[in-house]
Amino acid sequence: MGSRASTLLREEEIEEIKKETGFSHSQITRLYSRFTSLDKGENGTLSREDFQRIPELAINPLGDRIINAFFPEGEDQVNFRGFMRTLAHFRPIEDNEKNKDPIASEPLNSRSNKLLFAFRLYDLDRDDKISRDELLQVLRMMVGVNISDEQLGSIADRTIQEADQNGDNSISFNEFIKVGNVYILYIDIDIDI
Amino acid sequence: MFFCWLTECQAFVEEFEGALGKGKGRKLYAYKVMMAKKMIKFNRDFDNFKTACIPWERKIKEVESHFGSSVASYFIFLRWMYGLNLVLFAFMFGLVVLPEVMMGLPYGSIPRKTVPRAEQDRAMDISVLLDFGGYCKYSILFYGFYNDERTIGVLQFRLPLSYLLVGVGIFGYSLMVVIRTMARNSDEGGDGGDDGQFTFAFKMFTSWDYLIGNPETADNKYASITTSFKESIVDEQENQKDENIHLRRFLRVLANFLILCSLGGSGFLIYFVVKRSQEFANLDQDDLSWFEKNEVEFVMSLLGLVCPPLFETIAELEEYHPRIALKWQLGRIFALFLGNLYTFLFALFDEVNAKLEKEKSIRNATIWGLNEYYSNYSSYHNTTDIPPPDIHPADVIRGPCWETAVGIEFVKLTVSDIQVTYMTILIGDFLRAMIVRFLNYCWCWDLEAGFPSYGEFDISGNVLGLIFNQGMIWMGAFYAPGLVGLNVLRLLTSMYYQCWAVMSCNVPHERVFKASKSNNFYMGLLLLVLFLSLLPVVYTIMTLPPSFDCGPFSGREQMYNVVMETIENDLPAFIGNIFTYATNPGLILPAVLLMVLAIYYLNATSKNYQNANLELKKKMQMARDEEKNRRNNKENTNQVMQDLEDLLPNRSLKSPKVAKRPGAAANGKGINIQKDVSLAAPNPKAAVTHPPGPRGPSGNARGPPPGPARGRGRGTPPSRR
Repeated sequence: MGSRASTLLREEEIEEIKKETGFSHSQITRLYSRFTSLDKGENGTLSREDFQRIPELAINPLGDRIINAFFPEGEDQVNFRGFMRTLAHFRPIEDNEKNKDPIASEPLNSRSNKLLFAFRLYDLDRDDKISRDELLQVLRMMVGVNISDEQLGSIADRTIQEADQNGDNSISFNEFIKVGNVYILYIDIDIDI
Repeated sequence: MFFCWLTECQAFVEEFEGALGKGKGRKLYAYKVMMAKKMIKFNRDFDNFKTACIPWERKIKEVESHFGSSVASYFIFLRWMYGLNLVLFAFMFGLVVLPEVMMGLPYGSIPRKTVPRAEQDRAMDISVLLDFGGYCKYSILFYGFYNDERTIGVLQFRLPLSYLLVGVGIFGYSLMVVIRTMARNSDEGGDGGDDGQFTFAFKMFTSWDYLIGNPETADNKYASITTSFKESIVDEQENQKDENIHLRRFLRVLANFLILCSLGGSGFLIYFVVKRSQEFANLDQDDLSWFEKNEVEFVMSLLGLVCPPLFETIAELEEYHPRIALKWQLGRIFALFLGNLYTFLFALFDEVNAKLEKEKSIRNATIWGLNEYYSNYSSYHNTTDIPPPDIHPADVIRGPCWETAVGIEFVKLTVSDIQVTYMTILIGDFLRAMIVRFLNYCWCWDLEAGFPSYGEFDISGNVLGLIFNQGMIWMGAFYAPGLVGLNVLRLLTSMYYQCWAVMSCNVPHERVFKASKSNNFYMGLLLLVLFLSLLPVVYTIMTLPPSFDCGPFSGREQMYNVVMETIENDLPAFIGNIFTYATNPGLILPAVLLMVLAIYYLNATSKNYQNANLELKKKMQMARDEEKNRRNNKENTNQVMQDLEDLLPNRSLKSPKVAKRPGAAANGKGINIQKDVSLAAPNPKAAVTHPPGPRGPSGNARGPPPGPARGRGRGTPPSRR
C-alpha cells in the first residue's frame, strides 16, 4: 500500500507540499494513502460525500462546516494539494519553527491561523464577525430542542456580552482570540499524525 | 584566534558526535533515541490501559450526561467506597479468615466451633439460618469461631495478634485513605474563580469533543452539553436573584428554628421510646402486644420516612443555591440519623451487659466442673497424667459469647438495610414509573406531568445511606469478619442495580446543578462517621473482658493483652524496653504538644498562601476589567484615577456605554460598569464647577457591587457635595 501510494505521488510534489505545509515526508505519504482510501471514485479528488463517510465527522454537529472548510469557494471537489493545505492547520506547533525564517510568511499551522480556521467555522457569511444569529444556529445544532428558544437566545446574548469588547454586538476575530487565549489548553487544534 | 575557534569546534563535535550522526558514537546515540521513543510509547499505552481499567467509567459517564454531575457524584462516591471495601476485605480475608480456615482446626473439633447439642436439630432450618443462628453462627463469619492458640500451623502464624492488628488496622487504613482523598480533592478546588470570565463563550465554542467516533458516545455528548448549559443557566439565575436581604435572613432563621424544633422533638421521642423498651424488657414477653414489642423500630422507620420530606419543604423558605441546599439537607438528615445510631448502640450495650452477667455464672460452673473432674479422676485412677475430659464438643457447656451476638446484630442490620434499600427502589421508583406510564392511558389527569409523575434521584438520601452503612461495617467488622465481604457484594450489586434504576425509572431534576468540584463534603461526613464508629470498638477492646470460651482472645483479661504477650515472648528484650519507655506519659505528652504546634503552624502557612492566592486573583481581575473598560469607553474605573479626572475642570463624565440588553442582565462579575460617584474633596486650586455626572444606569437595584476593590470604602469618603 505504501509503495503504491508513493509511486502515484511524485517526489517534486512531495517537496512542494512539504515546503508549503511543513509536514514531513512520511506524514505526507501516510496522508496520501488516507486520501486515496477515502477517494472511492478513484479520480484523484474528494467530494463532500466522501468526507461524510468519516464517522467522527458524520456525528459532529459542526461536521458539515468542517467539510466545507476543505472546499475552496464554490467548488465541489478537492484535490490532494487542497486537502493538505487545509490539514496543515492541524499540525502541532513546533517551537523551533518560529526561529527558522522570520521573513517568510506565517506558516499555516501558526496559532492565529488555527484560531482563524476555527473562527471561520462559526462565521458563515464571511463578514469577519460572528453575529447573534450565527451563534443561535450553532447552539441549536449542539443542543437541539432540549432547551427552550428564549433560553437559547439568552445564552447567545450572554456569550456575546462576555466576549464582545467594542460593543458592536458581535464577536470579531480579535475578540475571538481573546477567548482563546484565556484557555490555551483547549483551543489547541492539534492532531498527532 | 582562528585556532581557538577551531579547538572550540572540535570540542563541540567530540561531545555531540553521536547526535550529529557521524563518527563512532552514532550507533549508541541512535539506540538511546530509539529506546527513549519506545519508553514514551510504552508509558502512554500503560496510561491508556490504566484508564481503561477503571471500572464502570462508561456507565457513570452515561448517567452524568443524562442527569448531571450531581447525580454522577453519588455514583463516583459509590465506586470509591467499593474500592475501599475491597481493600478492607483483602486484609480481613487474607490475614484472618484464610489462616484460620487453612491452618486452624476444622468445624466440629472443639466446642467453640460446634453447634451445641440443644440447637442441632434446628441448625439447618432456613428460618434459623436467615436469622444467622444455627450453622451460620458457628462459622467463619463470626468472632466466636476463631481459636485462641497462640500460633497455628506450620508457619507459626499468630492468629490472635493478627486478628487484633487487622481490626485496628482497618480503621487506620480507612482514616488514611479518607484524609488522602480529601487532600487530593481540595487541591483541585482552587480554580473556581476563573470560571467567571468566559463561561458561556467557552461552553459554546469548545464543548464538542472532536475525537468522538461512536454514535452512542455522540448521543451522550449531546445530552451532556445540554445538561451543562442548563447547569450554567441555574448558576446564572442564582446570581441574579433579587436580594431582599432582611426578608431572606428572617426566613432562614425561621426555617432553622423550625428544623431545630423538629430535630429536638424527634430526639426526645427516641429517648422516650428507648426508655419504654427497657421497661418492657423487664416484663414478661408474652404480655406485650406486637406494637409494644417493636415500638422502637416502628418509631425509627416513621421518623426516617416523615422527617426528610418535612425538612425539604421547610428548606424551600431558605432559597439557597441548589448545591448549598443539598448540603444543608444532608447535614440535617445526618443529625436525625445520629438519633437512630444512638438507640441502636444503646440497645446493643444493654444486650452485651446482660450476656456478661450470664457468662459469669456459666464460667464459674465450667471451672468448677473441670476441677471436679480432675480431682475425681486422679483419686479414682491414681495417676497424675490426666487426659482431657472425654465429652463430645457439642455437649460441653457453652458461655453466651457476647461478641458473636454483637456481630450477629450488625450483620442483621446490614442485611435488613440492603433489603429496605432494594425494595424502596423497586417499589418507589420502578413500580411508580410503570404505573405512571401505563395507567396514564386511562386516567383523568396527566399522570406524567402532574402527580405523581416520575421520581427524581434522591441524592442526599442515598449518600447518607451509603455513609451510615459504611459506619455499620466499620463497627461490626471486628466482631464479624465476614461482614466486609458481604458489604463488597452489596456495593457491587448496588452499583449495577442503581445505575439501571436511574436510567430507566428516573427523570433529571428540574433544576440541574453542577456538583461542587470535589466530593469533600461527603468525605467530611464519612470522616465524622469513621470517628463515631471507632469509639465503640476501641472502648470494647480496652474495657470489656473477652468471653472465656470463644474467639481468639478467650481466657485473657483484656483483648489487648495479646500484644503484651507477643512483645514479651516473641520479640527481643530491648524492644520490650522501648515500648515501656514509649508508653511513658512523660514522653507521650510532649509528643502530643509537638503535634498540636505543628498543626497550628501548618494551618497558619496555608492560610497565608490562600490569602496570597486571593490577592493575585483580585489583581488579575482588576487588570482584566481595566483593559476591557479602557477599550469600551476609554475611561478608568480605577477609583483613584477617577478622582483625579473629576478634579480636572470642565470635564463632564461621559455616561458609560453599558453593554446591556433586556433579558441578559449584568451579573456584576466584571461586566457591569457601574460608575461610583467620585467623592473628591473640594480642590482649593480649581473649582469643580459641576457636580459629578449621573451614575451609570443600574439596571437592577442591586446591593453594593460585588467583586474586587471598586473604590468603595477605600479610605474615608470625604464629604459629598
